[in-house]
Amino acid sequence: MTRAWKTAALAAVIVVLVLMLLPYLWIFLTSFKTRLDALADIPVWAFAPTFDHYPKVFIDKGYLPLVWNSIIVATFSTVLSLVVGAPAAYVFARFDFRGKEDLFFFFLTTRMAPPISIVVPMFLLFTTLGITDKPIAVILAHTTFNLSLVVWMMRGFFDDIPRDIDEAAMMDGHSQFGTFLKILVPLAAPGLAATAVLCFILSWNEFLYAFILVAFEGRTLTVGIPGLITPHGTLWGQVAAVAVVATLPILVFTFIVQKHLVRGLTFGAVKG
Amino acid sequence: MINRRMGAIVDRGMAPLLLIPSVLLLLLILVGPFLYMVWTGFTDLHFALPGREGSFVGFDNFRRLVREDHIFWHSFLLTLKFVVWVVIIEFIAGFALALLLFHFIQKRRLFLTLLLVPMMLAPVAVGLIWKLLLQGDFGMVTYYLRLIGVIDERTAILSDSSLVLPAIMLIDLWQWTPFVTLIMLAGLLSLPREPYEAAVMDGAGPLQLFRDVTLPLLRPIIALVLLLRGIDAFKEFDKVFILTGGGPGIATELLSIYTYRVNFKDWDLGYGAVCAFMVYLVVLILCAVFYKAVFWGGGQRSRRAGFAR
Amino acid sequence: MTISFDQVSKVFADGTIALDNLRLEFNQGEFIVLLGPSGSGKTTACRILAGLEQATSGSVSIDGRDITKLPPRERNMSMVFQNYALYSHKTVFENIAYPLRVRKIATGQIDEKVREIAQLLQIDAFLNRRPSQLSGGQAQRVAVARALVWNPDICLMDEPLSNLDAILRLQTRTELKRLHGDLGHTFVFVTHDQEEAMTLGTRIAVLNEGKLVQFDTPKRVYHEPATRFVAEFIGRPAMNIIDGEIEAGIFHAGGFEISVPQQPDGPVAMGIRPEQIVLRDRATDDTIEFELDVIELVEPDTLLFVKNNEAALVVRVLREVGQLERGSVVHLELPRENRHFFEALNGRRRI
Repeated sequence: MTRAWKTAALAAVIVVLVLMLLPYLWIFLTSFKTRLDALADIPVWAFAPTFDHYPKVFIDKGYLPLVWNSIIVATFSTVLSLVVGAPAAYVFARFDFRGKEDLFFFFLTTRMAPPISIVVPMFLLFTTLGITDKPIAVILAHTTFNLSLVVWMMRGFFDDIPRDIDEAAMMDGHSQFGTFLKILVPLAAPGLAATAVLCFILSWNEFLYAFILVAFEGRTLTVGIPGLITPHGTLWGQVAAVAVVATLPILVFTFIVQKHLVRGLTFGAVKG
Repeated sequence: MINRRMGAIVDRGMAPLLLIPSVLLLLLILVGPFLYMVWTGFTDLHFALPGREGSFVGFDNFRRLVREDHIFWHSFLLTLKFVVWVVIIEFIAGFALALLLFHFIQKRRLFLTLLLVPMMLAPVAVGLIWKLLLQGDFGMVTYYLRLIGVIDERTAILSDSSLVLPAIMLIDLWQWTPFVTLIMLAGLLSLPREPYEAAVMDGAGPLQLFRDVTLPLLRPIIALVLLLRGIDAFKEFDKVFILTGGGPGIATELLSIYTYRVNFKDWDLGYGAVCAFMVYLVVLILCAVFYKAVFWGGGQRSRRAGFAR
Repeated sequence: MTISFDQVSKVFADGTIALDNLRLEFNQGEFIVLLGPSGSGKTTACRILAGLEQATSGSVSIDGRDITKLPPRERNMSMVFQNYALYSHKTVFENIAYPLRVRKIATGQIDEKVREIAQLLQIDAFLNRRPSQLSGGQAQRVAVARALVWNPDICLMDEPLSNLDAILRLQTRTELKRLHGDLGHTFVFVTHDQEEAMTLGTRIAVLNEGKLVQFDTPKRVYHEPATRFVAEFIGRPAMNIIDGEIEAGIFHAGGFEISVPQQPDGPVAMGIRPEQIVLRDRATDDTIEFELDVIELVEPDTLLFVKNNEAALVVRVLREVGQLERGSVVHLELPRENRHFFEALNGRRRI
C-alpha cells in the first residue's frame, strides 16, 4: 500500500519535473539548431548541432556589450543596495525607536511597488537629469527593489546573531559602528553573500525599468530580447542563443543560494 | 515574557547615521517619482500632442478614468480575473506538489533544485520560450496539441482571443507553481512534531491531521504565499508584453500593459499617471493586507516567531 | 490489566541504542515513573508504549495481546506532552473535546464530559479562551484534561512539569497525585527529576543508557538502590561514595579506614547518604574524626563538607552547628545499617 503510493507519487513528481524542464530544454536545443531544423513542421529532437548562432548574435549583431551592460547594472545595483541597506538592516535589528516597524513596512512597500507605476515619472525625472540611456539610470531603478530586499533579509540575518556577541564586542573595546563592521558583518557573511546573489539575479532578470530607461547604448540583455522578435523571419536560433546566455548563469547562481532562497523570496518570513 | 533585550547600544547617535542613507536613496528614487506621478496626474501633459505641456487640469484625468475609459475597466477586470485564477490554481497545484514531496519522497533535494528552473528564469525569457513553443506554424507545443486533438489545424493559440488568456495563465502556472511548492514545503518542514503526535494520541486519522493540525499551523504561510503571488500577478507585465503585447485586440491587455500603452505608445502622460497611480494603489492595499496578515499575526515583536524554526 | 514490555530494544538510524532489552511489567491503576538522565531511554520507552515510535525488536503487550504494531489511535492511551501541544486555533473547550469528537461521541455527551473534567481540574472558567491566553500552569491542566476526558486505559506523560516554574511544579505535582488517587487511572510518567519520581510514583523504573537498572517502590529505590548509579541518582545531596578496598573486615581508602565486619574482601565502593550520617559532640567508639572544609547553610539544614585523608563526605545535619568553623574537627558516626556496598567492577549492590 505505502510502497504503491510512493511509486505513484514519484511518478507524478517526475511527470511534473519533465513538464517544468522541457520548455527550457527546447530553447536550449533550439540555440544549436540550423534554421531548417528550428522551423521544421514536425518538432526535431535529434539533429546535427550548429554552433553558429552564438558568435553571430553576440559578435556580428553586437549583443556582447549587452551582456556587459547587464553585468555592470546588476553588480552596481547590488553593491549600492548592500552598502546602503546593510547598515539600515543593522539599525532595524538592534535599535529601538518610535515608528520603527512603520518605517520597516515602508521599505516593504518599495519592494512591492509596481514598476509600471514608478517607471513613468522616473523616466520623466531622469530625462530632466539627462541620465537616461546610461547604466546609472537602471542601477538606480533596480535599487528600488534591491535596497528593501537587503534591508528585509539582512535584518533577519542580524536578528539571528545573539545579542551577547554585540555586548562582548563592546566590552572588548569596539565602538557601535566597529561592532557592526568588524563583528556582525563577518558573522552575517553567508547571509550577506546570499542576499547579494539574490539582488544580482533580480537585477539581471529585470525587464521593464531597463526597457523604458535605456534604449540604445545602455541596453541590458533582457532589453535586447524583444528586438530579436520580428513579425516575419525571426531568427529563432539566435533568439534562443540570447535566451540561453541570459538565463544559464542565473540558474547556476540559483543553485548556489538555494539554501537561502526561501528566505529571500519571502522577505525573511519563512526560514527555509 | 520579559521585554526582549535590544542589544548593546552605547551610541544612540549611530542609528540615524546608518539609517538615513537608505531613506534618502528611497526618497530620491521612489518617493520623488511617486509624488511626481501624482502631480502629473493633475496635468494634461502629452508628448505627442502639441500645446499640452502640463498645465493643471484638476481632477479631469480622474474623471475620465472613472466615467469614460472602458478599456481601463476592461483591463482592470481582466487583471483581477487573471490574478484570482492564477493564484488559486498555482496555490492548489503547488501545495499538492509540496505535500507529495513532503510525504512520499525522501531525497528531494535534486527535485527541488530542478523545480527552481522556471521561476528563476527572467520573465522575458519565459515569454520568449513560450512564444517559440506556441508558434502557429512550427511551435513544438502547438504541434503536439494538434496531434492529440486539443486544438485544430488552423488555430494558433496566441492569436486566438478565447485561448490566449488561459494560455497565459497556464504559462504563469508553469513559471510560479514551483514558488508555491518551495515555500509550502519549507513551511511543512518547519512544522513542529508535537501537535501531530498529540493529535495522533487523541485519535485523529490522516484527514483529520491535515484539517486540524497541518492547515491551522500553516495558516500564516498560506496567507504569505497567496498575497505574494497576488501582488506579483497583479504586476505581471514582461511575459504578456513579449507573448502578445496585449493582443489580439485587447484580449490580454492587463492593467500594466494598458498603462504602458497610454504612457509610451500614446504618450498621454497626464492621463497615464492616473492609470499608474491606480495600479500602485491596488498593490499598496494588497501589501498592507499582506503585512497585517503575515507579520502582525501575533503581535509585532513576534514577527518571525510564528514560523521560525 | 497488565502492561508488559518484553525485551524491547530501539536502535535509531544513526546507530544510537536508545533502549536495550527492556523488560517491564506493571498493572492497572499504578502510577509508574520512568526515571533517568537524558539519553537513558525513558522517553523512547514511553513513545514506544504510545505507538509514536516503533521498537526495533521485542514486543509490547496488554493482557497478553501483542500491541507492538498497533497504531496509536487503537491503543486507548492518551498523552500529555512537555510543551502541552494544544491546538492554538481552537478554544480550550474544543481542545478538550477533540479526542471525543474524533471518536464521534454525541455532542450532548461531549459537553457533559468536558465540563466535568474541566471542573475537576479547575479550568472551567477558561473554557472559551484560546491557548495563547493561558498561563503555563493553565495550559498544562488543559493538556491533562484533554488526556483524561475520554477515559483512556493509560495516560502517558512525557516530562509534563519541566516547563513550569518551581512553585507551579510543586503545586501541579500535588494535584497529579490527588488526581491519581481520585480517578484511579493508570499513569506512566517520564521524568529526569528524582524528587518528582519519589513523590509521584507507586513504582519507579530507573533507566540508564537504555537499560532498566531498578524497578521498585520509591522506598526501596531509596533504601536499597540496586546499583551505584541508582544510589547516586536518587536523593539530594547525592549519596557519598568512597572507592576503596576491604581487607580483613577493614575498609581502606587511601589512609581513611573504617571497620566493616562481615563484609568479604575485595575492591568495593562504600556509600552512605548525607542525611544518615550522625554528627556527635565528642569522640566515641563508633565515630571517626573528620576535618571540616566548607559549611553551607540550606535552611533549616546545614551541609558540612568534611574530609579524612582521601575520603571526602557531605553531611546533612538538622541542627545548629554554630560553634563549628572551617578547620574544626568533627566526630562523625557512619551507622552500620545505613552503609551500602557496591562492587567496584560493575557497580552492583553487594548482598
